[in-house]
Amino acid sequence: MQIFSERINGMYRDVRSAIKERNKEVVQAHVKEQVAGGADVIDVNIGPVKGDPVGNFVWLAQTVQEATDKTISVDSAKPKLLLEVVPKVREALPDTKLVINSSTAAADNMEKLIPLAFEQNCGIIGLCMDQEGVPGSVEKRVECGATFMMMAMEAGIAVENIYLDPIVLPVNVGAQQLPNVLEAIRQLSVVNDPPPGFIIGLSNVSTKCLKNNLLNRTYLVMCLAAGLTAAIMDAADAELVEAAVTTELLMNKHLYSDDFVKAWRIQKGI
Amino acid sequence: MSVPDAKEKWTGQISTVTIGATSAEGGTRGSTVTIGGQTGIPFLSFDGGVPNPPAIALEVFDVTPTTWAPPLEAIYGDVWSDPAAWAKRVTELGADLVNLRLIGTHPDEGDRSPDEAAETVKAVLSATDLPLIIWGSGVPAKDQLVMPKVAEAASGENCLLGAAIEDEYRTITAAAQAAGHKLVTLAPCDINKQKQVNILVTDMGYPLTDIVMYPTTTALGYGMEYIYSILERGRLAGLSGDKLMAQPVILDPGFEAWRAKEAKAGDEAADLWGPAAERGPAWETVTATNLLQGGADLLVMRHPKAVEAVRKAISQLVGA
Repeated sequence: MQIFSERINGMYRDVRSAIKERNKEVVQAHVKEQVAGGADVIDVNIGPVKGDPVGNFVWLAQTVQEATDKTISVDSAKPKLLLEVVPKVREALPDTKLVINSSTAAADNMEKLIPLAFEQNCGIIGLCMDQEGVPGSVEKRVECGATFMMMAMEAGIAVENIYLDPIVLPVNVGAQQLPNVLEAIRQLSVVNDPPPGFIIGLSNVSTKCLKNNLLNRTYLVMCLAAGLTAAIMDAADAELVEAAVTTELLMNKHLYSDDFVKAWRIQKGI
Repeated sequence: MSVPDAKEKWTGQISTVTIGATSAEGGTRGSTVTIGGQTGIPFLSFDGGVPNPPAIALEVFDVTPTTWAPPLEAIYGDVWSDPAAWAKRVTELGADLVNLRLIGTHPDEGDRSPDEAAETVKAVLSATDLPLIIWGSGVPAKDQLVMPKVAEAASGENCLLGAAIEDEYRTITAAAQAAGHKLVTLAPCDINKQKQVNILVTDMGYPLTDIVMYPTTTALGYGMEYIYSILERGRLAGLSGDKLMAQPVILDPGFEAWRAKEAKAGDEAADLWGPAAERGPAWETVTATNLLQGGADLLVMRHPKAVEAVRKAISQLVGA
């Protein structure tokens, strides 16, 4: 699977003040820890930092890129901001692989962000929701995912650069949506050949719950078994990463050896 | 409508291993042998390249063999009491490498000392300028003592040393590393153990790219499909990007084929099976060519007629 690091996010207090104070060390220490834990992509999100969001984003992306050559995912729920930020980040980091995180499947969203991904040579994450908000059913997720997929393919984005996010809700908010996500992944893998990537914001499942790590770990295993290929998660959570490696092994994606976690690390060069 | 491109796209590549060192490289060999480097399934030229065709080593023992069949005795009988003379013979017969097996160090086969083994290695190194593959007796406790001495005696010659196994890998790995030799990792018919041995050896700091894997061999008629599927799965894993399985493979069809009764039986079986002088080499040839298809990169063989036939098959397969 592809591990998107969730840690470089202004929702975390230390990252938020690092952005404000332009403190590279704090950010880069997290980046290194996430990469050492197995992160393939560093998701960057400025969170609720006030003032100059574009400048903050470019600084944050550059700071990450100084510490690793991994792909950077530019994360904002504001399409307008992404339209401004992505070209600036691309200009600052011409050789870095970028992923836009994310666009909904609402027409006005897709019409702006999909061409942006194409022009700026970025991957893109499509949320399986439209202007009506988070779907309450499998069918709506599949419909939104299929619509996004069609628009992205028509715009000329390669299938390996498209991710669909079937939207995970916290278990104490939308319990029925958790099995719905699994089923949506299964159905969307069947209707698209070859299938795109499937990604979730894993920590959402345990927001405001007590046993976060156990919930995250268990749900990641379930999603991987359903066909998930990527997750935004904490790569420094060794038990979480090891559970993912073990799931891939049991899905026959790796050849077994007694030290199969170490084998995975050797493969990754970490 | 255009025909879709159904070609496999492999992400991995088999690593390239060179055995032997010429004077320019700090050794005394007249030539070196390079194996591996494939980017696709064996001999499918449209699938990926075969930059280095499989190489053939001929077998030399440090003691007179007691169970070799008459067709082999006819070739080697006059030299096989002297490993240096035997090494010269296989060089004349056109081997790419000499496969020296220190059988005499086996506790039940003479129990020769590590120093005696080192002397044998030196004698063979002087008798031939081909690269060497050197094996102990296969008794781990004894090999722990013999192989470091042997590695040191052949220092700078970039030999291939056998073999690191799951239970005893530290000494030989350290010896190979210290004296600059390549290393065989051995896991009998077990692809998962094979990967594990590679992990263990790598964990000691030994480079993955200096390893040659030995999943053991079988002869035609004795479970070929089993070893073939092990070979195939290993190669597919390597080509699919598993760096721990992307090593070239050494196999021993000479030993295995000549163990089979169909190869060994004399002319008393000629009525039914044909003359012994042809049957044995034929058994070895078919065993070896089968293994090539599964992904063998280095073959240890015995009979020159079989070598000739296998070389012909290789050149046809690579289109040379």
